[in-house]
Amino acid sequence: MANAWKIARRSNVQLPLILVVALAVVLVLLGKAQGTLFDKMRAHATDTMAPVLEKVRVPVAGFGRWMGSITEIFSVYQENLRLKDENARLRQWRNVAIVLQGRVGRYQALLHAVPDPQMNRVLARVIGRANRPFLQTMILDAGRNNHVLPGQAVMDARGMIGRIYLTGNRTSWVILLTDLNSRIPVTVASSSGKVGNIQAMMTGDNRAQPSLELVSRTVTLHAGDQVTSSGDGGLLPAGLPIGTVVADGADGWRVALLADAGSSQDVEVLNFSKPPEAPPASAQLPAEAAGLKPQAPPAPVTAPAQAAAPAPKPPVAAAPKPQSTQAPPPAEAEAVDR
Amino acid sequence: MVSLERTIVPARLRTLTAVVPMLCGLAGVFIANIPISILGGLVPPPLLALAPIYFWCLVRPDLMTPAVTFTIGFAEDVLSGGPPGIWTLAFVLTYALVARQRDSFAGLSGLAAVLGFAAAATIACCVAYISVAALAFLSGTHFPPMAPILGELAMTVLFYAPSTLVVSWLHHKLVGASRGDV
Repeated sequence: MANAWKIARRSNVQLPLILVVALAVVLVLLGKAQGTLFDKMRAHATDTMAPVLEKVRVPVAGFGRWMGSITEIFSVYQENLRLKDENARLRQWRNVAIVLQGRVGRYQALLHAVPDPQMNRVLARVIGRANRPFLQTMILDAGRNNHVLPGQAVMDARGMIGRIYLTGNRTSWVILLTDLNSRIPVTVASSSGKVGNIQAMMTGDNRAQPSLELVSRTVTLHAGDQVTSSGDGGLLPAGLPIGTVVADGADGWRVALLADAGSSQDVEVLNFSKPPEAPPASAQLPAEAAGLKPQAPPAPVTAPAQAAAPAPKPPVAAAPKPQSTQAPPPAEAEAVDR
Repeated sequence: MVSLERTIVPARLRTLTAVVPMLCGLAGVFIANIPISILGGLVPPPLLALAPIYFWCLVRPDLMTPAVTFTIGFAEDVLSGGPPGIWTLAFVLTYALVARQRDSFAGLSGLAAVLGFAAAATIACCVAYISVAALAFLSGTHFPPMAPILGELAMTVLFYAPSTLVVSWLHHKLVGASRGDV
């Protein structure tokens, strides 16, 4: 046994060691400059492992739920009361939402509002998660075969989780919003209503709550402000729900994410390939877009007889009825639209 | 039971046993990087590949060569998904430092052996962190937080004892000491 632990004395590894260290440094620099080669290898490896991951996903998820429920079992009663209270409040909000949805629909019809660009959605299942020191990612069971491409947004039922950054044929990797390399342009809707939307950059730093870097230094955020994607740059659609603003206790702001990347099992990948439709010219809104003729400029005031006399009129028996200068009530406008 | 180091290994098997350290390292990389989070991502996975590198760097450096270490580090880079080349550089530099102090490390036993491995793992994690921080500095992004890499270091040291049990068992059964030492 003792012989097994003896150290081999014949080791002249100095020269190869220096070469290998140099090669490793070159590899780091090469990976910085040309990361696609590594990405292809990773995608291929994940595609190969996908069937195994799909098979072990269910028992592992069950084990994870069981582990999580160990601590929750002692607070079931309190949790039940809290959920009942929350459910009652949400029902009230649901009624408000239905009323507001109808009102927004009428306004859209009135204004001929440009519809949001259609987005294809791919439903995918989370088959793997990796929480490495320098990477926080999840692996989905949808890839290029399902038209999933890098850059597309990944959402769960509550909000945005991250973006696709690597796709294989059958799998894809998601870079989470909390990851060190994640930078998303966002819009912060002020809850106070005193200022309009605030543009900011949300950057991950491997913590649970990404940080916010304001574009403008003159605005102030408030805890509870809503954060959505801004759509700047055209990579992501605007308006995707992300989270709410919270103070980080050090003169900075962070975002409490709505989505829970740790527990999401089914997610949607949003395909934002279609460019947004160009809005109509401002001169056409709202009256002309609603099917009404633009209001005529006021005529110069002259003699009453002249004013009463119509301008050159075609010799027809029934002249067209003069257009009313008042906007019609919403019901009338809807009728015009239709 | 007669271990292989006391037997005359046929020439055909000698090549096969020579790749056991590398296969062990690659298996450690594969197991540690299976993208399954049992504890909900609370703790990072350990660097399981570091235990075979450390063990055979001390015991059989003729089998755990710098090139083999490079290969294992490369596999770790591919499967872990981090910045390319980081773990390759970390493993190779750790190997270089351990190989330079082989006599000191190999003489450790018991708790001191665990501390020796902890020193090696600290070197690897420090190299990886500094490399990523340098890349972040060049890119103008945030420095990575320290807590995750410290967690990975702790998990790696925690898994040293079971890993070494497996590795030493494989060593006695399949590899054995170098023939010059027997």
